[in-house]
Amino acid sequence: MKNKKITLIIFIAPAVSTFLLVFIYPIIRTIFMSFFYVKTVTDNFNKWEFVGLGNYFKLLNSSMFIQSLKNIFNIWIWGGIGVFLIAGLFAVILTGKGIGHKEKSFFRAAIYLPNVVSAVAMATMWIQYAFNSKFGLFHSFFSFIGLEKAASFQWTSPDHQFFSMTIAYSFGMVGYYLLIFMAGIEKIPSDYYEAATLEGAGMYKKFKYITMPLLRDVLRTSIVMWSISTVAFFIWSQMFSPLDPDVGTITPMVYMYNLVFGRNLTLSDPALLNSGAGAAVGVLMTILILTVFGLVNLFIRQKELEY
Amino acid sequence: MNVKKTGVLLIVVLLVITIFSSCGGGKKEAASDNTPAVELVYWSMWNETEPQAMVLKEAIKDFEKQNEDVTVHIQWNGREIRKTLQPALDAGTKIDMWDEDLERIVKTWQSYSLKLDDYYSKEYPSTAGKKFSDTVMPSLQEHLRKLSTDGGLYAVPYQPYVVAVFYNKDHFDKAGITSVPETWDEFLAACEKLKNAGFTPITIDDAYMDLPIGLHLNRMLGEPSEVEALVKEGGSKWDDPRVLQVAKDFEELASKGYMSPQVADNKWPAGQQEVATGQVSIYFLNGTWLPNEVMATAGEDFRWGQFAYPKVNGGVNKNYETFGAQGFQISNKCTNPDTAFALAAHLTTGKWDKELSVKTYGAPMDTSMPWPKQIAESKPIFENIDGFIPWSGGLAADPDVFPIVKAAFTKLLSGKITAEEFISEVKENQ
Repeated sequence: MKNKKITLIIFIAPAVSTFLLVFIYPIIRTIFMSFFYVKTVTDNFNKWEFVGLGNYFKLLNSSMFIQSLKNIFNIWIWGGIGVFLIAGLFAVILTGKGIGHKEKSFFRAAIYLPNVVSAVAMATMWIQYAFNSKFGLFHSFFSFIGLEKAASFQWTSPDHQFFSMTIAYSFGMVGYYLLIFMAGIEKIPSDYYEAATLEGAGMYKKFKYITMPLLRDVLRTSIVMWSISTVAFFIWSQMFSPLDPDVGTITPMVYMYNLVFGRNLTLSDPALLNSGAGAAVGVLMTILILTVFGLVNLFIRQKELEY
Repeated sequence: MNVKKTGVLLIVVLLVITIFSSCGGGKKEAASDNTPAVELVYWSMWNETEPQAMVLKEAIKDFEKQNEDVTVHIQWNGREIRKTLQPALDAGTKIDMWDEDLERIVKTWQSYSLKLDDYYSKEYPSTAGKKFSDTVMPSLQEHLRKLSTDGGLYAVPYQPYVVAVFYNKDHFDKAGITSVPETWDEFLAACEKLKNAGFTPITIDDAYMDLPIGLHLNRMLGEPSEVEALVKEGGSKWDDPRVLQVAKDFEELASKGYMSPQVADNKWPAGQQEVATGQVSIYFLNGTWLPNEVMATAGEDFRWGQFAYPKVNGGVNKNYETFGAQGFQISNKCTNPDTAFALAAHLTTGKWDKELSVKTYGAPMDTSMPWPKQIAESKPIFENIDGFIPWSGGLAADPDVFPIVKAAFTKLLSGKITAEEFISEVKENQ
């Protein structure tokens, strides 16, 4: 018995110590750092200057930080609704009876494809080849069908670039959630649907009374994952505004990046660097995710379902 | 049995890994068997495949050949060096020299670097009998001194750049413009001629959108500190009639149809391509690296011209420009600073400075070198500089207000709002 315990410890120790070192230590340090003015991440502790909640107040007073929160909220809600609806619709169609095995595999792969391509390449493609108002895809398409006004729409101007960025980002995410939803639907035993069909239920009724309730857990996980990826929204924003953040594309992660590392092209005033405030952004974002997680658990209760 | 097999497999894998990793280490040891007298570690801001890196690599090889006791270890960091250098220095990693944007290295890493004033007054093999300080543009040396906290020289500049207005000489010739505009009125007249000749006069990208307004405000108000006050203090500062005049000047560009219709929509490098493909005549403002960036589209024979941002009506109009360079810095912990500086001199003067300039169509650092034909007209601009304007002209001093100004200015320049609306939009959101 004793021997077993020692073996257990020996085997668990590397994982646990790595976890403590790589996750717990940075988390504690970040929380701690958020109460100090720290110019650069690697500054010695004796250079830290205690400011209490100063960093947090500074963030909440910053119009750009508030704007960044608004932006991710809008991506979360509108992008989320769009992605989940489209992914859900595709999932129902692709798991339906009317589609053959080959077609199913093809569409699943095709819709998932954007996830395989690097976000940097995807963003470049969208910005330069889809949104370009001179030779972009949308321009050509709308010109072709004679909608001149739509063809000259300026997708990436300051007023519209948030909208464009959300569309481009969501486009790629559909495939990811499609796979999750499809896996969820395929797990539901086909007898339920057969019985419902015999009773005369249509596609909509089957979706509403069988698929939806039984997908509850999948949906819950998906919402949490969508929230996490939205809070971590960074690459697309950087691709749309590579040098300085713009009102339409700033997100908390970009705001944090600029606080910690400064501007991309030339140096910003070193006095503006504040890793402590950057850490505070990190803490706030963690709290945000935990809140969403809590709310999701509250509203979409986990039910013990067996089938 | 199966467990045994897996175990054996695991051990084999581990063994292979160990052998390979020890191979890597072995190489290094073999090199140090010769125990060269001097070893330098250089952290570079370039990626190994960039043209700059290729020239630097050749130049360093050449330096090693000339000084057989010297070995230089290069680590190609790319621009990630902005984030990785300081943690490495703080952790005590041996790094003898590094490079990055001149302003960044002096302002950020001065306390890690060696003061180089003494080295500047010496001669080196590549300076052809001159003191090193005689080969560096005086404006760059003064700039370096101003950047540091004690007026010392903390870096060796190379690849200098200046921000200028870029134009297509063929278009100017066809439109009958005989001399480059020096004042705003001349600039408007040139645009009118271009328009009448059937060209779209001006374009710019989102990435550089802050430059025209920043420079125009500086021409008008005189000092970058006054432009900074606009964003830092805000409010009534924006009511200054001179600021409204600046906005009106841009409104005129839009209303007279001088701007490319896609200017608000341009995501870098879409605007650059408009100029490179001959659709538009003037790129409003860009660094002297522009011809190199669009070389693949424009070709080597594209007739590039540049002029300094025009003097504006009713402005103070000082000869201040936005300029800079890359720079090498030497660690204050470097045990062979003489060799390190000799290497920096080797890379930034004479043959290799020229080579770098030729391969990247960029400006040479050495004052005695010719500038590539694509940016030849920038040389007099650089030589006339009396003062420094930071990037964005000082508007980036407040990171909260800057994006608002930039977004509103994009709308102003594309004719979506008027000068008055521009001012009120900035004031409201500030």
